[in-house]
Amino acid sequence: MSLRELAESDLAITLEDPAGFGWAITLINPAGTAASLRGQSTDISQIIDPDTGQVVSGRLAAVTIRVASLAAAGLTLPQGIAGAESKPWLVGFDDINGQAYTFKVAESNPDRALGVVTCLLEAYNG
Amino acid sequence: MAELTSLIDKQDSFEIVRDQLAAILATETAAQQALATAGGEDPLLWKLRVYSERSNPWEQFLNGPADKSPLVNVWYDNSNFIEAGSSVSERQKTAGTFNIDCYGYGEAADVVGGGHNPGDREAALIVQRALRLVRNIFMAAPYTYLGLRGLVWQRWIKSITVFQPGMDNRSVQQIVGARVSMGVTFNELAPQVEADTLEYVAIDILRAEDGEIVAEADFDYTA
Repeated sequence: MSLRELAESDLAITLEDPAGFGWAITLINPAGTAASLRGQSTDISQIIDPDTGQVVSGRLAAVTIRVASLAAAGLTLPQGIAGAESKPWLVGFDDINGQAYTFKVAESNPDRALGVVTCLLEAYNG
Repeated sequence: MAELTSLIDKQDSFEIVRDQLAAILATETAAQQALATAGGEDPLLWKLRVYSERSNPWEQFLNGPADKSPLVNVWYDNSNFIEAGSSVSERQKTAGTFNIDCYGYGEAADVVGGGHNPGDREAALIVQRALRLVRNIFMAAPYTYLGLRGLVWQRWIKSITVFQPGMDNRSVQQIVGARVSMGVTFNELAPQVEADTLEYVAIDILRAEDGEIVAEADFDYTA
């Protein structure tokens, strides 16, 4: 096994281990197929600059998921859906206090060398 | 020795104009909401949350967004003094610029019939709705002089600029900002020399039975 293959297999520990930072994440594709996965999630405050010179307090949320787990769940790589005629890819996870949130995948950044995909999220009222 | 013997406790005209701009917006958006309610429309579509001279981050806008109506911030930007229309002593004709910044918050939402409503477009449409309200309110005929006739020469929207959200703003929320640059020409007034009284002049005005006005000059002097 090459070092790259070893790194990918280690994702089961470094990314998905519930005893580590692995966090329960629900991923739903535009067709409505849902999968329960484990990965890393973040939801922190962020400053938004609308270019008016005055900033707005906002949030930055993202998840990182193992690509092999996506395939095993029967899902393809998520992507940001710009068109209004389609349902978006949705991501759901709880914060550390058990409050559930649902987001739309705004941008998907796959790392095909390591086998992970990081999705930048957007608030979704579903 | 100080030449000014009275306290400068007045507001300058740019402060009066700035406050008047905010007051007009707050008054008219409330009136528009009342009209919308009376007409069976959703009043929130006519709601603006108006602030003046704010520089802190908009905290409650996103971290408790129960109210998603657009924000408006009125702030004074600059003044240019026009010599040609001014007097050297008392009155300076002033071309001031006031920025009216609008912020729209959009959230992607599910559409029951199919598809979804993208948050970036929603934010753009909301801020454009705010721009529509602001422009129509200030350019309405009753506000030709912003309700300050005698102080304000004219008001004119110089430009409207919508800012594209930066690529680094990977936020959960979709925010679009826009600026209405409002030019207002007005008089700035300065403290004057307090003149000594030379003479008191009293004039009695009498009205005759037939309506004729008869003025009687009565000079009371001490010399």
